[in-house]
Amino acid sequence: MVDIALTVNGTARTGSPEARMTLADFLRDDLNLTGTHLGCEHGVCGACTVIVDGRAVRSCLMLAVQAAGSEVTTIEGLAPGDGLGTLQQAMWDSHSFQCGFCTPGMVMQATAFLSDHPDADEQQIREALSGNICRCTGYQSIVDGVLLAVARAASSDPAAPPNASPDPTAPPYRER
Amino acid sequence: MAAIAAERYTGASIKRSEDPRILTGAGRYVDDIKLPEMLHAAFVRSPLAHAHVVSVDVSAARALPGVVAVFTGAELEEITVPGPDALMALIGGEGPTPEFTLLASDKVRFAGDPVAIVIAESRYVAEDGCELVEVEYDDLPPVTNASFALDPGSPPLFANLGDNIARPHSRSESGDVAATFAEADRVFDFRIGVHRHQNVPMEGRGCVASYDADRDFMTVHAATQSVHVTKIAVAMRLGMEQDKVRVVAGDIGGSFGLKIGASREELATAAASRALRRPVKWVEDRGENLTTSGQAREESFDVQAAVSNDGDLLGLDVKMVIDTGAYPGLGVTVPATVEEMLPGPYKLAALGFESTAVTTNKATYVAYRGPWASETFVRERILDLIAKDLGLDPLQIRLRNVAPRTDPPAVMITGRPLAGVTSKESLERIAELVDFPAFRRRQAEARAQGHYLGIGMATFIEAAPGPRPPGGPSGPLGTESMRLRLTEDGIVALFTGQMPHGQSHQTTLAQIAADEFGVPFEQVRVVVGDTDVVPFGLTGGSRSATMTGGVALHGARQLKAKVLDLASHLMEASVRDLQITDGNVAVRGDPASAIPVGEVARRAASGEFGPDVDANLEVEAAFDGGEGGWSGGTHCAIVDVDVETGIVSVERYVVAEDCGALINPAIVDGQIRGGVAQGIGAVLLERTAYDEDGNCQSATFMDYLVPTACDVPRIEIEHLETVALDADVNFRGVGEGGMIVAPPTIVNAIEDALSPFGVRIYEQHLPPARILELIAAAG
Amino acid sequence: MKLPPVDYEAPTTVPEAVELLAEHEDEASVLAGGQSLIPLLALRLAHPAVLIDINGIAELSGVSAANGTVTIGAMTREYVAEESGTVADAVPLLAAALPLIGHEAIRSRGTIGGSLAHADPAAELPAVALALNAEFVVRGRPGERVVPAAEWFEGYLTTSRRPDELLVEVRFPAAGRGTGSSFHEVARRHGDFAIVGLATSLTLSEGAISDARLAFAGISDVPVRAADAEDLLVGERPSAELFDEAARRATEDIDPPADLHGSADYRRKVAAALVRRGLQAAADNADERQ
Repeated sequence: MVDIALTVNGTARTGSPEARMTLADFLRDDLNLTGTHLGCEHGVCGACTVIVDGRAVRSCLMLAVQAAGSEVTTIEGLAPGDGLGTLQQAMWDSHSFQCGFCTPGMVMQATAFLSDHPDADEQQIREALSGNICRCTGYQSIVDGVLLAVARAASSDPAAPPNASPDPTAPPYRER
Repeated sequence: MAAIAAERYTGASIKRSEDPRILTGAGRYVDDIKLPEMLHAAFVRSPLAHAHVVSVDVSAARALPGVVAVFTGAELEEITVPGPDALMALIGGEGPTPEFTLLASDKVRFAGDPVAIVIAESRYVAEDGCELVEVEYDDLPPVTNASFALDPGSPPLFANLGDNIARPHSRSESGDVAATFAEADRVFDFRIGVHRHQNVPMEGRGCVASYDADRDFMTVHAATQSVHVTKIAVAMRLGMEQDKVRVVAGDIGGSFGLKIGASREELATAAASRALRRPVKWVEDRGENLTTSGQAREESFDVQAAVSNDGDLLGLDVKMVIDTGAYPGLGVTVPATVEEMLPGPYKLAALGFESTAVTTNKATYVAYRGPWASETFVRERILDLIAKDLGLDPLQIRLRNVAPRTDPPAVMITGRPLAGVTSKESLERIAELVDFPAFRRRQAEARAQGHYLGIGMATFIEAAPGPRPPGGPSGPLGTESMRLRLTEDGIVALFTGQMPHGQSHQTTLAQIAADEFGVPFEQVRVVVGDTDVVPFGLTGGSRSATMTGGVALHGARQLKAKVLDLASHLMEASVRDLQITDGNVAVRGDPASAIPVGEVARRAASGEFGPDVDANLEVEAAFDGGEGGWSGGTHCAIVDVDVETGIVSVERYVVAEDCGALINPAIVDGQIRGGVAQGIGAVLLERTAYDEDGNCQSATFMDYLVPTACDVPRIEIEHLETVALDADVNFRGVGEGGMIVAPPTIVNAIEDALSPFGVRIYEQHLPPARILELIAAAG
Repeated sequence: MKLPPVDYEAPTTVPEAVELLAEHEDEASVLAGGQSLIPLLALRLAHPAVLIDINGIAELSGVSAANGTVTIGAMTREYVAEESGTVADAVPLLAAALPLIGHEAIRSRGTIGGSLAHADPAAELPAVALALNAEFVVRGRPGERVVPAAEWFEGYLTTSRRPDELLVEVRFPAAGRGTGSSFHEVARRHGDFAIVGLATSLTLSEGAISDARLAFAGISDVPVRAADAEDLLVGERPSAELFDEAARRATEDIDPPADLHGSADYRRKVAAALVRRGLQAAADNADERQ
């Protein structure tokens, strides 16, 4: 067991994972953040993607102990409160997903990519997401969601990154 | 908050109710479930494809700290009841039934066959425990291909079968096969094969089984296409009464046919939970999913085609062999559906069909999105081959052979009427959407530069659900049930046995019910995933649009009638004068009279009405599919083949499809695109590979390749105007069509690209190396 | 697919790491980026007794240039090298190869040293290092050793790093004037391992090739220089015919492996196509750098 302290979704967290425990399992099992999914556990499918110190990372290819002292953002930490970020809202509006299992990894990867490439075009988006496997959608609706987020971010406030507060012009998200 | 402002929800791309939780990581999949005292299971699996099990020594595993129990195949046999696979029991099947146990005990029959289950405090420790189990095997010669399985000298997988024939050879004929062939100008002979590939949902199989010893009650948290079929499977194998088993399911990460009933591992997990009196979780990892969950499509066809010199496809005589792997299940039923669907929407006059199903030392053949899809591959492939030979073009040969829409409708030689089929229109629409002459010019210019483009098309129909059967629907899936209730909160609750795993039922069924009943979309709640609460149902076979859409429509209508009847007493008005709009009952033309439907429900529940008034605002509705109908269409692809590297890219993909009335166009389009992506995957990337010793070589995502965002183009979709067959319900299923017709579409395009080399293609899997082999062989 | 039990050490200095390696030798695996090692552990194909995590050794990261050499610390993340202006300017072949390594998330963690110490023959960086005659600096208890690339790659996933040594940095020669580079590969999908890859570097001087480097990925159990083809090219002027002949020479004696993704014959054909394409691209780039 190795004691670690890290920041997850803006909150200080601690744990004592075994050295062999992956960051993905630590997030899911020890911190109860089950939004990050396990699709292959060998680093190919991207379902486990989270953001560590500003970079998209496959959490199944990191040990939890390696995240000590880092800032980790998971899908649960992406948008404030009950709302949706610009990207999430755009994906909702674009019918981006079906079964939802690839979704957290896709959203995190797209978020990281857009923060560096806010003006990305379709080809760049497809390449950026080519390491995230979706079996349901054929990707077009996902790409459309990202393109919509790019367009909305460009039009509403050029200075705001796509994963900022919800787009006020979109229909409200209603808790059921 | 403002409700969605749409006067009519049905037909609009209403945003999904599922998405707020999906997009924020709040979905609840089976691996997200944590129960107090929960343990974790892992399986010891055979490294050999075919062997006797001589001994299983679990002592070291049992002694490992953190391991709570280990059960061998023999030990599990003692605490479970033998029986067939639950899905097979449901859909029925003839022929000999191999006998097998939950876990392998005397024999292992494929590499990955589970031999023991290790239960521990964590999955990490359970896997550690598995490494400590020592199994002694006595190798047997593996049966790794169908031709060896057909050989009576091959070692039988199952002693009680005596050979490796899972379903014996049968032959049937429709129409006058002999005469058709005798009179034909030409008889073509083809051998066409489809390769093994598989479902690969992003979430694998898994469950949390939780046995409550105090109540002798088993709860299973499942990932399944039907909670009721899973319940039947669990109750049966555990020897429990059905009312002592409850199956619940939350979000499910895809399935495509894989998760029906309960797999041997899930049943073993449930048995372990009962023995240990603690919840046990088993979730398969990707290696298990690829090598042991099941595979599909490995079929071969010897086809004779009777053809006129002008290109009429008069008759087919087909011999099919299907490799159903070890522990045969659904695979044995596939040939019958292939036979039935082979004629497609064409004027075929005669069909001879023989099939044999064999067992081999590979994972079991399971249902995979359009299990009968090979019929479309074979038919659409040979149409192109025949067209080339006769000097016809692919569009013309199809237009020539497609059955025109007549009244009464043309009937497939295998029996089903082609009522409302718009295949001809789909071909014509493709010709409008894709400028063939312009493409041919571009293709010729490209060829002159050593650049190879190709165009291909394929046409299909799908029984989603198919036309109304002459004797009426039958069997447990012939009728769809739904319970609908108006709650005191004004919610119209739909209780359905559908188990969405990407189909968006919580949105689509709510659209229909909201429209029919008269409440805002937000006032409909679709309840799924609990055998204690929902009626029998199964999501599969592209049935839900018609069957469940239909029962939602009719059920909402019945519920509305009840509510209006009650309201007429409340409001002292005639039912005729009342309407429900925007969640309120009102007298027509008198908005001030409006009462929220929830208020009506509260008054009903208060008991103020006497015994003569039906105050129970609940209906149990059933729908048999109405007039039913076909889905179908034509797909067309343009591909670019790099003849130096064999890399194929799909430049353009166009769909002209008829799936009846659309409930939610965005959701329909998503289903089509996902299916097409899997079809592209099948041709260019996906192959389940076994070596001659029966080792699975496609055991990780580095070897079993699925398409990514760079492999699937924008897919253009046009929906054809549909023929309404039913007064109310003309939604038709669309889930499987893309996967059925995309493979021949792509293969036809590749052959067209390579036609300067004289290439002819009789197979479905065309990775880069194969493309170069085909070019070299033709030269 | 959970990792097997393993002990864990996280040294913060190179001497500490070296001591641990000396103590554990073959029983230890060095954990750098983890993008190759962790899948091996997850698949339980490797069972080291101890992981020596060198992510905490700060001195191992960094890109610097001096005296015609670009020095990259072994723990430099691939994305850092990809974003480095120094690498783009001075080691264009490396800059060409880096974006082809897996996907962005892999490059977030994967390291230059890790990839080269892992030495997957189908990976991009080993071919680049071999093409450029990079130098590998390892440190063990006796001290430092410099291993030229031609001696680094010994076999499948095997390098001449001794079990008690740590790879600390890799040195690349800065590209001279008139040098053009390309990295081409044929992969099943964007971001996959190359079925065959080719690192190409050509230096043109007054229109003739003064230096030629061709190094293959994926045609053997180590990266391979196409020495015969290189000899043919030096002194000649670029032309399609020359490149065709180079392709023939580069592939006539190779004996590539066969696997699920391609037969030996397929790899040979693809290798020849890559030589033609790689040389043309490098020649085009060389013109730009004059």
